[in-house]
Amino acid sequence: MIFQLNDKYEASYVVSEYVYRGFMNVFKDENPLHTNSEFAINKGFSGKVMHGNILNGFLSNFIGECLPIKGVIIHSQEIQYKKAVYLNDELHFEAIVTGIYESVNAVEFKFQYKNKDAKVVSKGKFQIGILE
Amino acid sequence: MDRTEILNEVNGVFKDILDNADIVIGESTSAADVEEWDSLTHIQLVVAVEKNFKIRFTSKEIQAWNNVGEMINSILAKKK
Repeated sequence: MIFQLNDKYEASYVVSEYVYRGFMNVFKDENPLHTNSEFAINKGFSGKVMHGNILNGFLSNFIGECLPIKGVIIHSQEIQYKKAVYLNDELHFEAIVTGIYESVNAVEFKFQYKNKDAKVVSKGKFQIGILE
Repeated sequence: MDRTEILNEVNGVFKDILDNADIVIGESTSAADVEEWDSLTHIQLVVAVEKNFKIRFTSKEIQAWNNVGEMINSILAKKK
């Protein structure tokens, strides 16, 4: 097994204009919370709130591209959102191995995203299968 | 834990993973008897059973199972 308990992996992501526009172009979620600064500020935020599922896109990038092997498949994932993410926010992603199930070639991780103020904006867990 | 207690706990795991509160698992139950029990669900079942009983199986062990009773044999052997 290439993974060991408590192994830690890190990555950095930016919610750039390109990412934000690309997400909206593909998924057509143009809710005013995401597109209208005045609306978002009136709801108590500092500006347009980025779509939470952009972070799931980054998670997909991490699992598919940043792990030490390419032969992986997502079995499950859960995510919680703790703080709003705004346009051009820089996010630090960290994932730690929390469970190894060699009988079925599965590995469980917990993860979190922190913003540049070191505040956790999102956290969760995912399980991957190792493809032989 | 005796065999019946383990079967009851395994039944709870199956209800949760298969998202079916009505399912009743017996010792002779196999994947062929449960529509939702496909290969991906099998992985989730094994992981959930390992977590629930705080044990780890080997791939050789699980490949030898033909039904839930044989899974319970493995659990009992590890909980002794």
